[in-house]
Amino acid sequence: MYRYDEFDAQFVRQRVSQFRDQVARRVSGGLTEDEFKPLRLRNGVYLQLHAYMLRIAIPYGTLSSRQTRKLAHIARVYDRGTGHFTTRQNLQFNWPKLSDIPAILDELADVEMHAIQTSGNCIRNVTADHFAGATADEVADPRPYAEIIRQWSSLHPEFSWLPRKFKVAVTAAERDRAAIQVHDIGLHLKRLGNGGLGFAVYVGGGQGRTPFLAKLIRDELPEEDVLSYLEAILRVYNLHGRRDNIYKARIKILVHELGAEAFSAQVEEEWQRIRDGALKLPEDEIKRIDAYFLPPAFEQKPARAALRAPDRAFDRWVTRNTHAHKQPGYAIVTISLKPIGGIPGDASAGQMDAIADLAERYSFDEVRVTHEQNLVLPHVRLGDLWDVYNALRAIGLAEANAGLVTDIIACPGLDYCALANARSIPIAQRISERLAVRQDLIGDLKIKISGCINACGHHHVGHIGILGVEKRGEEHYQLLLGGSGAEDAALAAITGPGFGPEGIVDAVEKVVDKYLELRSGPNEPFLAAYGRLGVAPFKEALYAAA
Amino acid sequence: MSKRTPAVSVLTANRLQDGIVVFLDVDGDWVVSIDGAAIARSPDEALALEARGARDAAGNQVVEPYLAEVHETRGRLVPVRVRERVRVDGPSILADVPGYEAPPSPSPSPRQRDREQAEAA
Repeated sequence: MYRYDEFDAQFVRQRVSQFRDQVARRVSGGLTEDEFKPLRLRNGVYLQLHAYMLRIAIPYGTLSSRQTRKLAHIARVYDRGTGHFTTRQNLQFNWPKLSDIPAILDELADVEMHAIQTSGNCIRNVTADHFAGATADEVADPRPYAEIIRQWSSLHPEFSWLPRKFKVAVTAAERDRAAIQVHDIGLHLKRLGNGGLGFAVYVGGGQGRTPFLAKLIRDELPEEDVLSYLEAILRVYNLHGRRDNIYKARIKILVHELGAEAFSAQVEEEWQRIRDGALKLPEDEIKRIDAYFLPPAFEQKPARAALRAPDRAFDRWVTRNTHAHKQPGYAIVTISLKPIGGIPGDASAGQMDAIADLAERYSFDEVRVTHEQNLVLPHVRLGDLWDVYNALRAIGLAEANAGLVTDIIACPGLDYCALANARSIPIAQRISERLAVRQDLIGDLKIKISGCINACGHHHVGHIGILGVEKRGEEHYQLLLGGSGAEDAALAAITGPGFGPEGIVDAVEKVVDKYLELRSGPNEPFLAAYGRLGVAPFKEALYAAA
Repeated sequence: MSKRTPAVSVLTANRLQDGIVVFLDVDGDWVVSIDGAAIARSPDEALALEARGARDAAGNQVVEPYLAEVHETRGRLVPVRVRERVRVDGPSILADVPGYEAPPSPSPSPRQRDREQAEAA
């Protein structure tokens, strides 16, 4: 893992000290709320419906055991015993007192963490494939590049006041687990025609009020040029992005309005001017950062099947929640934070402590956070899977549902969020309870729920998406079908009139029933069946009897 | 365009120190329960509440005060919008939050305590 150097440590401590002073001045009346709000947002502090919320950055979703324990400690001491993992691979605390937040930030700095740039119109926490550095299907670990981008974008003076927030995601596998096509910039690390490493660069994707899939503007960008090219993109956006209308300020609108060709021409022009300047990455610097992400000291074991006790539940868990590792004899384990009827992404302090222990003992001290609101132990020996499974069972986190219909993404929604129009979590809970008994029969199916148009729950790219709206003061839900945030990225389409809080659960079940009735067989997943059948039979199932 | 003044409303905000939802009560205190909230039944009363909110926001007691429309149902104040009902009742899913530890109940203000004692007597 990356370790802070002197500069990192100093600037994080300096920010904590500055924020402590700002909080003191706010509480004593030296700063008004209007003056304080942009300062607190720069440090990840929101005012939500019921309390302040602190959003903590987890760069490219990688945590050590020590950091995980610190998050558990903060949950226990400063919050109400729990934390919430988000679709940006971050962690949110829902109940901190304003006056405690400087102390929390100091505790985070002790373990090389912070909350800087988790809010505001700046470059946010860089996300990455949560299986990075472990998965058998990647060309190289993308995290060194994510770290290089993190360093470049942290407190970047030119890009601290962009027209709007800006999100970058990186993957190095053909199977896209980082949803790069719905990011402002998506980077796909790959082997170039000349044999070297480089990137396909996607720009202008995003969800929210006006969803767009990103456009590929450069197919082969050499790795040493990644920062200068990103700088060129950000400069064009910073210059031409709209600041007069918050709903049209994201780069996706600029790319859409200019056209991808014209936009990329402007980027190329700027890039040619700066590509051989200070941002050209020397090979030594890439190697220096790479060294922080070297593979752990794996045992050189021959490939063999997982050691399995005669236990059907364990078999199901191994089948659903483990993934092929690049190192023979190891597996990647997904810890589902989606117990049946549970709250997507929530973990108690005790659970976080237990997961830290498991990571230390079985996974070379590493935990990952997924944008699907689960956790990952990236490097587990096959022979240890039974022990890991039993330890997860003991803390209620051994549900064998990764990628199944109960593995639902849901934003905090109206239970917490000041922007939300409707609750997301209770809908996720009821769908999970309703469909749990059939989840293996249904197979791969991603449901994503947002409580407002801002789409933090990624409803636009759900195989089944749900959008909560407010209608005459009450909660109402639109249903969308056919989206994907993976390599086959697609935006879901609204089926028709929406449903009330009870009706939406019935509606999802009707869609699932129709899929089971019409699929060509168990090997045709929902998304493939939807692609073959179109929306018509599902609309008929939803609305014909109405 | 002018903002519509709700027919019957209460003044709500978040407390500066901890962000907890509060309501202005009939004694002029900011309290966590909507039950004793001061009610505005006319535009003039609404303006008066808003002015008080602006003063207390400037005085760093509360953040972002605003009027929330309410119904009076069987002697209780119930917000019209679901958003405000969630603010009054708290997250609807707390019983399912893993490891959730509810804070101790807030102690009533001295004036609330006096009123409760008087009612009990």
